[in-house]
Amino acid sequence: MKAAAVSPKAAITDADFMKFRDFFYRKTGIHFDESKRYFVDKRLVERIEATGAGDFRAYFIALRFDTKGAELQELVNAMTVNETYFFREAYQFDCMVNDMLDEVARRKRPGERIRIWSIPSSTGEEPYSIAIYLLERWPQIDRYDVEILSSDIDTTVLQAAQQGVYSARSVGNLPKPYLEKYFKKRSEHEYVISRDLVSAVEFSLVNLSDPADTRRFRDIDIIFCRNLLIYFDDLSRRVAAEAMYDALTPGGFVCLGHSESMSRITSLFTVRRFADAMVHQKPLTGERP
Amino acid sequence: MGLRKTLHPEPLREVVDRDHARDQRGLTGQLRSGDVAQRRWAARDLAGCPDAAATLGEQLLAERDASVREALFTSLTTIADESAAAALLPLLRSEDAQLRNGAIEALAAMPRAVGPRIAALLRDSDPDVRIFTVNLLGDLRHPQVADWLVQVLLQDVAVNAVAAAIEVLAEVGAPDHIPALRSARVRFDHDPFIGFAVDIAIDRIEAP
Repeated sequence: MKAAAVSPKAAITDADFMKFRDFFYRKTGIHFDESKRYFVDKRLVERIEATGAGDFRAYFIALRFDTKGAELQELVNAMTVNETYFFREAYQFDCMVNDMLDEVARRKRPGERIRIWSIPSSTGEEPYSIAIYLLERWPQIDRYDVEILSSDIDTTVLQAAQQGVYSARSVGNLPKPYLEKYFKKRSEHEYVISRDLVSAVEFSLVNLSDPADTRRFRDIDIIFCRNLLIYFDDLSRRVAAEAMYDALTPGGFVCLGHSESMSRITSLFTVRRFADAMVHQKPLTGERP
Repeated sequence: MGLRKTLHPEPLREVVDRDHARDQRGLTGQLRSGDVAQRRWAARDLAGCPDAAATLGEQLLAERDASVREALFTSLTTIADESAAAALLPLLRSEDAQLRNGAIEALAAMPRAVGPRIAALLRDSDPDVRIFTVNLLGDLRHPQVADWLVQVLLQDVAVNAVAAAIEVLAEVGAPDHIPALRSARVRFDHDPFIGFAVDIAIDRIEAP
């Protein structure tokens, strides 16, 4: 495998790539295989040039001993693609309607409330996907009172979520019958989501790493927190995990992004393997994680 | 039943008055509550009390519930000052691996507070403490890490401490650390593992 075509001084060698890959995996849980070599090299070289480090060795040492973790954060931002769309990583929604919700429902009486928290809400694609999945694919939906909460730290995206206007690309993954049922086509490239769905999600401004913000979230049965913690530093991740633990009911579930792992953050949760996905669970009272 | 409709877009519910006082004195008392959830919340809220580090450290020694221990460690990591480091360092001597590992992880997250303590830890009479200190160096973001590791290579008499230092240097080492690695191999020439580990470390450092 050849390094990316960059200035010779900043070129990333095979050994550099391996060293970086191991370090980045330990810090973020994100693993890059050889197929991502060009992608990684290009962004590494950009960061080397942006920081003025000169070459990989100098950059890597600075990165590793950066006490504030600011450069690691820059690197994480550069290495992650921040995009969202309806039914993204839908295997976890399948897991929700096929397994998690049934297990939650078994601990409740019919008519009781089931509470799902989606954070970050971003522009609403995830909480609305959850709502559509519940309505279309969970047979017990009419037996329980399901509340969907969704939070974000960014007021702009919260407003956009409540407006509910989406691009054709954003809804491109939705089965056509759902698109026709829950959206109105406003123009060639824009779809407006049904107000019924908007009113079924309770949006709020929350910083997950601030206990003052998360304290009021209690009795949650399922949390979707996908592709957020990779942006946090180690301490903020721990604080966020503590917040999720205390927000959940015993036996409640957390779904993280496919490249994220709770076990690298805390030992508070147990791993549950279902047919569709692996998720994290707060132990039932009396169980040990 | 079905999806609950929200009537207003404002935050779900206001924070109501807490059941117990949230000042440091009140929280310290709640750390000894018989209720796990109450102890967890007290531990979490004490993160906002900079003078609470010693209390949190003492509670770690007494606490048996893993979820409360996690909250205690997280709060000490949040405080992250010299008092937090002082509260965590005694745990390096604990027989309880969960406490020890938790302390290493928390200490690694506070390089400024821990840095001034490293030299003394590397001179500790207990070789286990020195090994755990090297483990800590593996995750500590501090500019002197390599210097401390070289010190271990040149001076420490415990083979396991030296082996741990070689492992870390294999990742963070530079060509100017190679003489110290070779020196460790000479000091422990009777130990084939050290020779093997040194070869791997030098190969990684010299890799083009």
